[in-house]
Amino acid sequence: MRRVLVLAALLGGMTVAQPAPAGVLTIRFLDVGQGDAVLITAPEGQSLLYDGGRSEKRMTELLGQYSVKSLAIVAASHGDADHITGLTPAVQEFKPKFFLNNGIAANTQTFSKLTAAVGTAGTQGLLASDRVINLGSVKVTILPPPPGMPKTDQNLNSVGLLIEYGTFRALMTGDSETAETAGWLKKYPASKLGPINVYKSIHHGARNGDNPAWLKAVRPSNVVIGVGPNNYGHPTSEALALYKSVGASIYRTDLNGTVTVTVQPGGKYALVTEKGTGTVPQTRPTPPAPSPARPPSSVTYPSCAAVRAAGKAPLLAGQPGYSRKLDRDGDGRACE
Amino acid sequence: MTEKRGELGISYVTIDGIEGHLARVELPDGTTEDWQLASLPKGVREGDVIRIDVQGGDVEMEIDHQETDRRHALGQRQLDQLNAQAPEGDLDL
Repeated sequence: MRRVLVLAALLGGMTVAQPAPAGVLTIRFLDVGQGDAVLITAPEGQSLLYDGGRSEKRMTELLGQYSVKSLAIVAASHGDADHITGLTPAVQEFKPKFFLNNGIAANTQTFSKLTAAVGTAGTQGLLASDRVINLGSVKVTILPPPPGMPKTDQNLNSVGLLIEYGTFRALMTGDSETAETAGWLKKYPASKLGPINVYKSIHHGARNGDNPAWLKAVRPSNVVIGVGPNNYGHPTSEALALYKSVGASIYRTDLNGTVTVTVQPGGKYALVTEKGTGTVPQTRPTPPAPSPARPPSSVTYPSCAAVRAAGKAPLLAGQPGYSRKLDRDGDGRACE
Repeated sequence: MTEKRGELGISYVTIDGIEGHLARVELPDGTTEDWQLASLPKGVREGDVIRIDVQGGDVEMEIDHQETDRRHALGQRQLDQLNAQAPEGDLDL
């Protein structure tokens, strides 16, 4: 059963920029900063993009870097911007056949832009339901949100994917929270949920994602956390301790870059990181980053009152939103 | 969708998500920024559209329930339309 070959990667940089090799299943946990994006390519060449991260530019770069030539399907685990923003350029470029989604529209411009792109591309929407998508010889089982999830909460309606190829199994479940994982535990037998060879950490290692009851069923050998600089304290010390407690090796896209898994017919797999060799669980929380990166020119404040309302006063020259009209004495500190 | 009327100091932002004491807010230009939840109207929830009115030195923020509902209904219609006609059963790609 456990014909496992884990190569923690001293090969960094040598293989990661290559297109997915033919004849094997390739799963790339893409380094998109704070967010999730997983590119899955079947041995026969069909690709599925599960989430797209928070940046159109970054996703476009990554699709080029890995020489992606086509996408058969894109999937939004749920409608939050850090999961769907990069799906828009992917849809525009590759016009996939299907757009898998949870059926709940988000109110944001980001979501509207994605659905508009899907419509323009002629891509068929696909509401998540209990069914299997055969991506070539790879079996992808959709885990739709279990019954009873409130339709006003995107996280609780995350769409999961179980990926099986030979004896290999990978699982990803968006930004699910405990109520949703409890629903899945009720719905599915434990043998369906675990053991899992490679598992995507829920919600970037948030405190309210992975939980002991769920991980006891999943029994992951390797956990990959899609995470970048953030203000939320992701991944939390609680999540890291939980992964350690089940004996999983931990990989993080902020420390390891893109993490690539290649699976041979039969199920033997290798795990390669872009940099570093994976990380051991930490016992101390990661300090939150000061603020997310964003284009400095994209924010304007009509007045210092608005700056204060946003909690940004004082604004220093060079910071997003700084303008000379808000800096009356011209000392480089606006709205003092 | 999101409009900004600079001369009146009125703008609309949308709550993309709430993470602990922070709200991830989509600004009028489509980018997101983390704001303190405490700086937003009480009871704000994911998906709410917030109307920000700046007049002189005063700032007023309120949840615009009507605009929230309007955008949600429009977005849901668009998504439902995309999902219509989907094939049943397992799929081979």
